[in-house]
Amino acid sequence: MNPPDCVRTATTVAVDPETAFRVFTEEIDLWWKRGPAHRFGGGREGHLRFESGPGGRLLEVYDEARGDHYEVGKVRVWERGRRLVFEFRALAFEPGQTTEVEVRFEPASGGTRVSLEHRGWGALRADHPARHGLEGEAFASMIGLWWADLLLALGRRARGRG
Amino acid sequence: MASAARNLDDTLAALAEPTRRRVVDLLRERPRRAGELADAFRVSAPAMSRHLRVLRTRGLVEEEPGGPDADARVRVYRLRAEPFRELQSWLAQVESFWSEQLGAFKAHAERSRKARRR
Repeated sequence: MNPPDCVRTATTVAVDPETAFRVFTEEIDLWWKRGPAHRFGGGREGHLRFESGPGGRLLEVYDEARGDHYEVGKVRVWERGRRLVFEFRALAFEPGQTTEVEVRFEPASGGTRVSLEHRGWGALRADHPARHGLEGEAFASMIGLWWADLLLALGRRARGRG
Repeated sequence: MASAARNLDDTLAALAEPTRRRVVDLLRERPRRAGELADAFRVSAPAMSRHLRVLRTRGLVEEEPGGPDADARVRVYRLRAEPFRELQSWLAQVESFWSEQLGAFKAHAERSRKARRR
C-alpha cells in the first residue's frame, strides 16, 4: 500500500525522455482528460497551459484576452527531460492550501518510465505550529508513515472482526 | 470529492498535533478513560480534555459511559473507523485520477509521435 499522504502511479511511454517531457508540458491540453471530473473550470471550456521554466505556472485559461484563468499552481522544479514538480490546487481547496505533484522521466527499455507522485494533502501551511520546524516533505512523509501504520492496524482489526 | 476533501482536512487537522497523534495511537489498542490518557502523557486533565474535544468534534473519537467499574460518570474514549475509511477511499480516487491521466498522456504521446515519424 502507498503511504497514505502520497499517491504514486507510473507508465512507460514509447518515446525518449526529452520528448516525453515536452509532450507532458507543451501538449498538456491535448492529452489531459476533459470534463468536470478532470478539469478545473466546473464545466467551463478552457485550455491547460504550462508556462515553461521554474516559477512558471500551470493555468487553465478560459479567455486569454481578458486574462480569465484558473491557476492550478506554480512550477517548483523544471528539469527538461528529467523532472517536473508543480503545485496542484483543486477547486475545493481553501485559499493558501496546496498539494504537490512530481513527475520523473527516466530512460527505460522501450522508451521512458514516467512516474508521478501526488503528495501533501496532510502537509499543513508552513506557519502551522504542528510542523515543529520540519520542512514540507519531511513533515508529509512523517505523517504518511504514521497513516500507513494506522491504516494497516485498522484493517487487521476489521478483518479480525469479520 | 469535495466533501471527502473537507472531511480529510478535518481529520488531518485534528492529527496535526503530536499529543493527539499519540492519543490515537493509544486508543488503537483499546478504549481508554480521559484520566488514563492524561497520566500517560503527563499533561494536565484540562489540557487532555482540550485535545479530546478536538478529536471528538472532528469525528476521530467518540466517548461513552463505561470504565472498569461501570461508573456512569466515567467516560471512555474509543476510535471511530469512518475517518480512516474516508481517507482510504479518497486515496483510491486520487490514484485512479492520475492513472487515467497518465494513460491519456501515453496514448497521446505515442499516437502523435508515430504520426510525425511517417
